[in-house]
Amino acid sequence: MESKSSTTGNRDNPNRNLHGSKTMMASHFLRALFRIQQTSTSSSSAGRSRRIRRAAYASMAYSAGTRRAWSRALLRKLRSRARLRFPRRLSRAATPQRRDMDQAQVLRKLVPGGPSMDDCKLLEETADYIRFLTTQVRLMQTVMDSVSS
Amino acid sequence: PSLLFSSLAASDIARLFFHALSLFSSESSCINPTFTHFSRVSLQFRCSRMEKERFFGVNWQSMDAGMPPEMNSRAVAADQLPNSFLNLGWEQPMHHDAHFESALSSLVSSPSSNTPAGNDSVIIGELIGRLGSICNSGEVSPPSRYQSTNTSCYSTPLNSPPKLNLSGMDHQQQGRGGVPVPGNQMAAGKFSPFAADPGFAERAARFSCFGARGYAGLGGQFGLPEAGKLSRVSSSQSLKAVQMGASDNGKEVPVSEPERPAMETRSKFGGEAEFGNSQEASSVSDRTTAVGAENNARKRKAASKGKAKGAPLSSSNMNPPKPSDGENSDAKRCKPAETDGADKDAAVKPKTEENGDVGRKQGEEGNAKPPEPPKDYIHVRARRGQATDSHSLAERVRREKISERMKLLQDLVPGCNKVTGKALMLDEIINYVQSLQRQVEFLSMKLAALNPQLDFNMEALLPKDMHQALGQLPQQVYPLDMASTAFSYAQQPQGTPLQSIVTNSLDVQGSLNPLDNVGLFQLGNLWEDDLQYVVQMGLGQSQGTAFSSQSMPVE
Repeated sequence: MESKSSTTGNRDNPNRNLHGSKTMMASHFLRALFRIQQTSTSSSSAGRSRRIRRAAYASMAYSAGTRRAWSRALLRKLRSRARLRFPRRLSRAATPQRRDMDQAQVLRKLVPGGPSMDDCKLLEETADYIRFLTTQVRLMQTVMDSVSS
Repeated sequence: PSLLFSSLAASDIARLFFHALSLFSSESSCINPTFTHFSRVSLQFRCSRMEKERFFGVNWQSMDAGMPPEMNSRAVAADQLPNSFLNLGWEQPMHHDAHFESALSSLVSSPSSNTPAGNDSVIIGELIGRLGSICNSGEVSPPSRYQSTNTSCYSTPLNSPPKLNLSGMDHQQQGRGGVPVPGNQMAAGKFSPFAADPGFAERAARFSCFGARGYAGLGGQFGLPEAGKLSRVSSSQSLKAVQMGASDNGKEVPVSEPERPAMETRSKFGGEAEFGNSQEASSVSDRTTAVGAENNARKRKAASKGKAKGAPLSSSNMNPPKPSDGENSDAKRCKPAETDGADKDAAVKPKTEENGDVGRKQGEEGNAKPPEPPKDYIHVRARRGQATDSHSLAERVRREKISERMKLLQDLVPGCNKVTGKALMLDEIINYVQSLQRQVEFLSMKLAALNPQLDFNMEALLPKDMHQALGQLPQQVYPLDMASTAFSYAQQPQGTPLQSIVTNSLDVQGSLNPLDNVGLFQLGNLWEDDLQYVVQMGLGQSQGTAFSSQSMPVE
């Protein structure tokens, strides 16, 4: 892709901001990875993966800043050193019943800071959360590719 | 007479009648061209909306052809008038609605057959009545209701054209400020015959009042399910007339004016109509613009507005609003219309309220379909058939907001284009978020397994380095993390090259702003590349060509 040319061509604000956030996210995550690598050479892979996962969400939250409700809630959760748990399995269990009834509830569990939002805001935050999530996933995939290549 | 038209409001019917009336009146006022367009426009709206309505059959088309000549001639016999009138508006919209045509034809035929007198106005009145009934037939609210109600007010307006607007407005006052002003102007002379149709007067009044508002008023009355749609259109028209005053409005104004009363019910759509009528309005507007009867429309609008203004502001205000009000009045009317609508809802006869409720239910269905235009917080137009009380208005705004956000989400979640409906979309969204979170976990597990293999170039990863790198020569040597140099760098000159590369490639202008919604999305394509650069830099791996090209040769 026109990586260099395109990036340089993206002078408009959104791109710039995007670049900024992405860069921030990438650098933060990489630093965190580095730290993890340094400190957990002897720990189990599971522990490392948990830490890496936490680092991933931390990168997301830091790059998103405090503008968003979900990032604020995420930062709060991270700072309280609570274990990052996600209701993944929970969502898998329930299936058709949640439809129409507690869809918003399910979504609230997924998005950090969800329970304290109204539907309208929930959708907005979900959109932003999805954006950052996709960015983070791509970042991690890129790291993986770079490492394995 | 214009009032009569407006009262018909059943957006479609109203329009038709309006046109017819306009035609009649146009003789004197030479508004024919405008009406023609208007009728067409209205018909089009109707047609699109009235898809469900199978009323209007082919008559519309036939009518349309016949109308234009009729209008000009004025000599049209009473029977002919309705036909020509119908034809006017229906040319364009016709293609869409078979229903319309059938309905229209039935409508047209019925009045002609029933017309006791050869008066044009009578026929028109009948037609209008028929249209109303036709519209209503499809809808919940039976036309009879209107007719009965209209009868009371109908006679009043009929007697005096100038008062038609007022009386009609009273009826319709369902809260729609759309005073049937325009109707009066146009059909002033001709509406006497309409007296025959009690409901007509009321409807006409409505139409005129709501000219700008669209046909919401009528829709509400008729409880047409499509009212929502129609109202949208009408509201858009009204809004356009009021706010935009564009050519489109011009066209619509004359038409909408008579239909103002109807529009009020649809007032909610006003906002939506303007923008949201992407389907209908655009077509209408296109037509209107094409017509070029803007000037005429404006005049009428002004006149109607003046009248309409009087009506909505005070239901009992029998004084015909001054035509000088013009666009401003329309704008004002829009505002008070909404508020009045709310007030009037209670004040207006219970019938209107019923209609409103009925319309609301129906309107909601219709509302859901068209894209909602961004609403002005003050001007929230009630959709046709929708209640205009503050609660429902707020609800509507809220629903629109939610639908807006759902659209955003639809763009974000891949493969959601085909999914329609809130529930399905939410399911998709939930699934997507879950899958993303699962991916994060999976990738973190894999990274944990790979950890020992990672080489980090900490210098490059420091954000401040990146900042500094911006606008700076990449030759800068950063003493930070000198210890990090102990790490095995795939390539020595990683520090500076990374920053320069990052700077260049990412075009980071020293602004680490939070991800912008749009930005993040837009850069999706570039993300991979940027990420590659950053990651490669940070990991100090195989940068190879990428680096060399951009990095400064710092050794």
